[in-house]
Amino acid sequence: MAETLRASTNRVLRNPVAFSIVLSLLIGAAIIAATGTNPLLAYSEMVRGALTGSGLRNTVSRMIPIVGMALAISIPFRAGVINLGGEGQMVIGGLAGTLAAIYLPLPPVLVIPLALVAGMVAGALWALLPAIGQTALKLPILISSLLLNYPARALTGYMVRFPFADPTVTSSSTVPVPESNRIPKLALFDGVSASLVLLILLLIGVALFNLRTVPGYETRMTGLNSRFSRYGGVAVDRQVVWVMLASGGIAGMIGTHLVVGETYRFLDGDLVVSGFAWSGLLVALLARHRPGPMLAAGAFFAALQIGGLAMQRNVNVPWQIAQVLQAVVIIMIAGRFVLKARRETAAVIEGETTVTGEV
Amino acid sequence: MFEQLFDSALVESVVRALIPILLAALGGMICDRAGVFQISLEGMMLVGAFAAVAGSYLATSATVGTVIAMAAGSAFSLVLAYGAVSRQGDPIVIGVAVNLLALGLTSFLLPQLFGVRGVFQDPRVDGLNRFPIPFLSDIPIVGPAIFRSTIPGYLAMLAVPALWVFLFRTPIGLRLRGVGERPVSAETLGVNPTQYKYAAVVASGMLCGLAGAQLALGNVVQFSENMSSGRGWIAVVAVMLGRAHPAGVLGASALFGAAEGLGFRLQGNGLPVQITDALPYVATLVALALARKRFKRILELTAA
Repeated sequence: MAETLRASTNRVLRNPVAFSIVLSLLIGAAIIAATGTNPLLAYSEMVRGALTGSGLRNTVSRMIPIVGMALAISIPFRAGVINLGGEGQMVIGGLAGTLAAIYLPLPPVLVIPLALVAGMVAGALWALLPAIGQTALKLPILISSLLLNYPARALTGYMVRFPFADPTVTSSSTVPVPESNRIPKLALFDGVSASLVLLILLLIGVALFNLRTVPGYETRMTGLNSRFSRYGGVAVDRQVVWVMLASGGIAGMIGTHLVVGETYRFLDGDLVVSGFAWSGLLVALLARHRPGPMLAAGAFFAALQIGGLAMQRNVNVPWQIAQVLQAVVIIMIAGRFVLKARRETAAVIEGETTVTGEV
Repeated sequence: MFEQLFDSALVESVVRALIPILLAALGGMICDRAGVFQISLEGMMLVGAFAAVAGSYLATSATVGTVIAMAAGSAFSLVLAYGAVSRQGDPIVIGVAVNLLALGLTSFLLPQLFGVRGVFQDPRVDGLNRFPIPFLSDIPIVGPAIFRSTIPGYLAMLAVPALWVFLFRTPIGLRLRGVGERPVSAETLGVNPTQYKYAAVVASGMLCGLAGAQLALGNVVQFSENMSSGRGWIAVVAVMLGRAHPAGVLGASALFGAAEGLGFRLQGNGLPVQITDALPYVATLVALALARKRFKRILELTAA
C-alpha cells in the first residue's frame, strides 16, 4: 500500500504539469498563511465554491470565455505569432455584437447569429491592424497587439459613454439587450449558456483543422521553423494575416457572448476586469495549444477563479489568489521544461550568435 | 489656443509623465545590452508602486517607501532572472506570466493588507517631496519642470549620462555589452554571462521599482489596481525606438511623456477622457510605424 502510494506520488512529481500545479498550490498556501488566513480553510472553501451548489454552473459558465480566449490565442501561437491583443479584440467585438443584438430590427432567430457574426467581424478587423503592421511595416505583433488593447478600451468606453449610452443609468453602459435577443440558456448544469455548444463545436473544428488539413499543418510548420516553412512554399505573410483574423474573430465572438449571453449590458471595463483574455493565454500555454487539454486546463482555471470568488465571500480572502496561482503554474512550467516549439526557435538564434561569436 | 496649450504647467506634466517611463526603459535598456529579453517592466513597476505605498504607509516616510519599492522590484525581478537565465525558459512566456503574477499579487494584497478594493489612499502615506534647485528652478518654462523634481526624478535624469558612461566607457560596461552581443567570446575571455545577466535583470527591477515609487508617491499619492496601465510596455517600445542607447531612450521616453502630458492638457480643455487616455498608446504605435526596421531581434524571437 505504502509502495503504491509512493510510486504514484513519484509519478505525479515527475509529471511537470502536475508538479507545477502542486508546487504553485503550496506557494499560494504560503501567501495565504502569511497574510493571516488558514490556507486549508481557504482551499476547502475554494473547492466547495467551485463544485457544489451553483458553483458548478458558474465554473462551466466561466470556462466558456476562458477556453474560448485560449482557442483564440492558440491559433496564431501555433504559427509562432504571439497575439497579446486578445483583450482589445474581445472588447471591440463585444461592443459590435451587443449593438447588433440591441438595434437590428430582425427576428431573434436572425439577430442572435448576426450579433455573433458582427462581433467576429469587428474583433477580426481589430486584429487585422497588428497583422498588417507586421507584414507591411515589420512591427512586431507582440508589442503592437498589446498596445492596441488600450485604445480599444478607450474607444468602447467612449462609445458607451456618449453615442450609445443608456441615459437612465449613471454608469457608462448601453441599454440592456432585449430579452428575446439574448443567447438562450441550456437545461444543462442548471442553465449554462448555449454558447457552450458553440464553443465545443469550435474546439472540435480547430482540432480537426490542426490535425487534418494542409493549412493546419502549415501553421505548425511555421511555428516550428518559419524560414523552412517559407522555403517550403508557405506564404508566411498571408498566414500571419489569416491566423490573426481567426484569432480576433473568435475573441470578438467571446466578447459578444459575454454580453449577449451573460450580462446583457455592455458596461465599460466589465469585460476587462475579470482578465479572461489573460487567463485564456495562460490556458493556451499550459495546454500547449492542443484543443483537448485546453478544455481541461480551462476547466481548472475556471474552477480556481469561481472557487476564489466563493473563498472571498466566505473567508474574506481576495479571489485574485487564483490569478497568482495561474501565473505561478505557467512560470514553473516554462522554467522546468520549455515549451518545445519556441525553445527550438530560441536555440536557432542562439546558435547563430555562437557561430559569429567564434569567427 | 497655442498659448493655452504650451506653458510651464504643460512642460511639468510632460516631465512628470516621462520619469516613470524613462526609469523603466533604462532598466530595459541594460537588459537589452546584456542580451536578456525583458518584457516584465510593466509588472515590476506595478510591484514597485505597491511596495512604495505599503512602505510609505508603514513607516510614514516616502524615503522608506522608495527604498522598499526598489528592493521589492529587484526581488521580484529574480523570478524572471531565475526562469529565463538559469533555467533557460522561454523569455516571452515567463515575461508575460511575470506581468500577470504582479497584477494578481498586488490585487490580492491590496484588500488583504489594507482592507480596500481598487484604490488605497491614506493620510499616513507620505508623498515624495520636490526639491527645487536654487536659481535653475527659476528658468522660465523648463525650470520648474526639470529643476523642481523628486529624488526619483533627479535620479532618472542623472541615470541617462551615468549609464552612458557605464556602458561605453567602463570595462564592466564593455563586458556587459559583450555578454549581450557575443556571449561565447565573452565567456572565453573569462566573463561569466550568467552573472552579468542576473545583474542586468536585478538592475532593471530596481529601476522599475523606482519608477513605481515615482508613479505612486510622486505623480499621485495612492495605489490603484493595475496603476502602471501599460507604461511598462511603452518603456519596452522606448528601448526599441531608442536603439538601447541612453540618449535614444531618453528621446523616446520624452515623446511618450509629451503625448501623455498633452493628453492631460487636452482633457482640461474639454476633450473626453477616453480619447486623451488613448493618446500615449496611439503615439507609441505611430512612432513604431515611423521607425520601422529596428525590431529585427524581436521579430526573430517571435519567429516571423
